[in-house]
Amino acid sequence: MTRFLGFGLVGFLCLMISDPAAAESTLAKIDKSGTLTIGTRRGSPPFAYINQKNEWVGFSVDLVERTILPAIQKKLNKQVKLEKKESTPQTRIPLLTANAVDLIAETMTDTQARRESVDFTLTYFVTGAQFLVKKGSPIRGIQSIANRRIAAQQGSTNAKIIRERVPSAKLLEFPDQPAAFQALAQGQVQAYTNDGIQLAGLRAKAPKPDNWVVIGEFFSYEPYGMAMRKNDSDFRQAVNVGLMDAISSGLYFEIYEKWFGPKGEVPYPVSAEIKRFLQMQVVPK
Amino acid sequence: MNYNFDWSVLWSGQTGAWLLDGVLVTLKISSLAWLAAVALGILSGALRTAPITLLRWLAAAYVEFFRNVPLLVWMFFWYFGMPPLLPHALQEWLLDHGAEFWAGVCALGVYHGARFSEVIRAGIHAIPRTQFEAAVSTGLTVPQAYRLIIVPIALRLIVPPATNETLNLLKNSSVALTIGVAELTFQTRQIETYTARAFEALAAGTLIYLFLCLAIAAFMSRLERSMAIPGMIARGQSVEL
Repeated sequence: MTRFLGFGLVGFLCLMISDPAAAESTLAKIDKSGTLTIGTRRGSPPFAYINQKNEWVGFSVDLVERTILPAIQKKLNKQVKLEKKESTPQTRIPLLTANAVDLIAETMTDTQARRESVDFTLTYFVTGAQFLVKKGSPIRGIQSIANRRIAAQQGSTNAKIIRERVPSAKLLEFPDQPAAFQALAQGQVQAYTNDGIQLAGLRAKAPKPDNWVVIGEFFSYEPYGMAMRKNDSDFRQAVNVGLMDAISSGLYFEIYEKWFGPKGEVPYPVSAEIKRFLQMQVVPK
Repeated sequence: MNYNFDWSVLWSGQTGAWLLDGVLVTLKISSLAWLAAVALGILSGALRTAPITLLRWLAAAYVEFFRNVPLLVWMFFWYFGMPPLLPHALQEWLLDHGAEFWAGVCALGVYHGARFSEVIRAGIHAIPRTQFEAAVSTGLTVPQAYRLIIVPIALRLIVPPATNETLNLLKNSSVALTIGVAELTFQTRQIETYTARAFEALAAGTLIYLFLCLAIAAFMSRLERSMAIPGMIARGQSVEL
């Protein structure tokens, strides 16, 4: 019995490690299937979500549809369809490595640790960690959270920084936004930390947005990139060309305005500094 | 699959300590919830067979209510729904002292208590009615008959299904991560988000759960053999054809 179990285990692990489909380049895969498959979110407004008309939309989705997809079509010289799949922070890297999706387009921060497993496009959005608190809260930023109960998104870089810089803060980590917001609304915690843009999105969707404020200086740097399988520079080049062309032609800022402009889903003006940074990522033709 | 496995992430840096922490929290929340579940299960399981209609109804209501609402809902109920009903000072104190852990214990305890109850009821029904009548005719009162004769025999009968329930409880403790309890599944996710090593973290979590479950099953099987009443309950040998 025990021996069988041993064999079973080894078999299971071998299955996980084995290499059925030897590396095929992503562009060749898209050329063959005629489809670009992206991993994105159903509930992460305004980057990727299902809107009231039941359409899967968002800033990240728009960037793929209007800038990256045309670049890939031009490169392959054929029509390519777009397919969207749900991906979560826990599943996005496995989805990529298992060839289930070709590109992760949601709210993924580009980090050195992640670059060990996947490759990233250039940075297409910049934000940083802040706090969401009830209006009138004494919390003003990371300097005033000692001994307070703080909610964070599970395993986020923000949680890591708080643990290191303010060890006396009582950190509670929730797997998703709704649970963390519920905890804040009920007083289980006194503040909720996440990327500023996500907090702004959460506030905009709250029943009474005026009861909540996003406060504090950025205490982390969160550059969002789209992730793809490692060591596939032709695909990476095609995707980056799409993004660079959009930034230099102004299409990127048009899309930005649609989602984050004064009339957008979540008003979040781009600072001159960040605009300059985005433009400087564009290398000459 | 072009993915280079790097198993060293499981013991380098902080991850080893996280995994260990996760295992300890899982064991702590599971054992406390198990004690609560068994106590509730024995009580309500016995009441469901009691000769008093009202008590049978009460126990049946408990079982049906708690086992038919998803565990996730119970987690949210004990964590988000309960505290506002308490006095403000007590509420603040609880929230400062790991309210999420105790909410998790309560949720797992009452949910699995309802399921244990059915197991124990089945065990009691498996005892011939004459056993109970014989106990009462020796002069024992009904509660004494239950405490000294019926429940001890029933507990010996139900070891295999109780093992099943125990394993379910251990694995269901992972639902507590939704209210922020840093148990084993929580820590494997944490490792994944910090190191971007999803396969390694998931494999480690899987193997630890597997090991814990096998250990519990082995222990329960020994317990069943050592507690068996000779001549009364034969431990099921495989039938020779």
